[in-house]
Amino acid sequence: MKSIFLKIGLAGAVLLAGVLQAAPITGAVVIANDGALDASIGAAALKDIYTGKTTYWRDGQSVTIAVLADKTDAALKEVSGMDASQFKTFWQRMVFSGRGQQPKKADDVAALVALVASTKGAIALVPADAVLKGVKVIEVK
Amino acid sequence: MKDKMMPPLAPLLLLASLAATTGLPLAAAELQLPGPGGSAVDFHGFISQGYLVSSDYNYLGESSHGSFKFTEAGLNASFNPFPHTRLAAQGFTYDVGPAGEYDVVLDYGIVEYTLNDWFGVRAGRLRRPEGLHNDTQDVDVARTWVLLPQGMYNARWRDFYVSVDGGEAFGTLPLHQAGSLSYELYYGIQRPRLNGGLALQKSNLPPFSQLVWINAPKLGGGQLWWNLPVDGLKLGVALNYDEDLTFRTVAGRQSKGSPFTRHYSLEYFRNAWTFQAEYLRFRIDYDETGGGPPPSKRLIEPDTWYLSAAYRIDKRFEVGGYYTEYYGNVHDRQGKLLPFPSDAAQKDTALALRFDATDQWIFKIELHRIRGTGQLLDTINNPVRRGGDWSMLAVKSTFSF
Repeated sequence: MKSIFLKIGLAGAVLLAGVLQAAPITGAVVIANDGALDASIGAAALKDIYTGKTTYWRDGQSVTIAVLADKTDAALKEVSGMDASQFKTFWQRMVFSGRGQQPKKADDVAALVALVASTKGAIALVPADAVLKGVKVIEVK
Repeated sequence: MKDKMMPPLAPLLLLASLAATTGLPLAAAELQLPGPGGSAVDFHGFISQGYLVSSDYNYLGESSHGSFKFTEAGLNASFNPFPHTRLAAQGFTYDVGPAGEYDVVLDYGIVEYTLNDWFGVRAGRLRRPEGLHNDTQDVDVARTWVLLPQGMYNARWRDFYVSVDGGEAFGTLPLHQAGSLSYELYYGIQRPRLNGGLALQKSNLPPFSQLVWINAPKLGGGQLWWNLPVDGLKLGVALNYDEDLTFRTVAGRQSKGSPFTRHYSLEYFRNAWTFQAEYLRFRIDYDETGGGPPPSKRLIEPDTWYLSAAYRIDKRFEVGGYYTEYYGNVHDRQGKLLPFPSDAAQKDTALALRFDATDQWIFKIELHRIRGTGQLLDTINNPVRRGGDWSMLAVKSTFSF
């Protein structure tokens, strides 16, 4: 009896640890160019990328954010704290003041995945059901 | 001088608007060319054309008759030739009332090295960080309004206020549970122009003596942003000190002083709302010598503040408003020392509608209700100033990529 409770307790702890460690983004996953050094990223570090505080990966490669209008707006809000319009305005301010580079835009999911696959340093939010080819899925912790 | 009815850039904007509405292909949002080291060169740009008309006075141009002298255009390029390194430059031209006259200037041109998130350096011609809007004050796509609160972001002063030649250190320091602290510390030289807004203002105010020389003062300062651990909220403070700003009139009178500026800011995004609030105060003690009259001193200490709110209705429409007050002298807010008491202050209530026709073309219309003449700063074109309210309509269209 004691061992059953112990097993249930352990299983619960593992489950809780999994929930705490991996915080999936609503309806989206994070992908990066295949050359990305890391397979996971913290939520705070991801936000720093999307808000322009982190502009280079640890190997010195510049970060390139790729975006797809409409389909991942909720996820963008979750990651950056800004809705799509605020995000666009933020990066226009960065570009036209000389402080950053504009995120690259794709017209559809397939084009977004292809853009990330072909661009060193690229990172993007894609719908969770996207067909992913030639990119690395990044776990958000 | 009457404004031209069809300014040079209007046909370009007409073309852009036609293309936007008929779906004709235009230049891509980005043009990428292979750059050194295999890095692509990113190009972006914008063209803006505005129209101002006021019920009274000439403000930011001959607005009492309607003025198209409200144009801005910029083109930039950026690429990463080496790890941690970026080169970027932007050319810019503008015409706001009598200032600018479509002179093409290097708006920024930088070499940037980022060691890590905490520390980086830039050198060259920098867009100076101060408050929420100084470094993008002539970039129409970067905000809801046509006109920023002019007491704080004077559209005629950009030659003096926007850029500095020098260097800066920048970065973001994590504060863990307290959020993060972003900083930019800069030092360099300003390049005000004799045909720029500041010089023209001096010439158009008593004693109406044309400026024949203005120096390139050294300027040091910084901008700090506390990014609170609340999504969308940040607080900022900017300080800067100009060393020995000096100008000389045709009559030989020299004014010399060192302005010190304090600027406080708050910005908060919540869902589709954007709230902003700022306060600025600067002080300059001028020593005036030469030209005949005895030496004298003149203290200028204005302050200004505003509150604003904007709401994104949907993908196409955004509405917003702000209220701002400007005082030319904190020691005489009622204008008792002035020949025209209405010059003591300018209070402005603005309501704006922004329409994003496409991802690249926007259109804005804005109504101002203004009390006071504190920001007219032009006795030549406004010889009589009365109390009471007056209005201004501002319309602007921008194509960007």
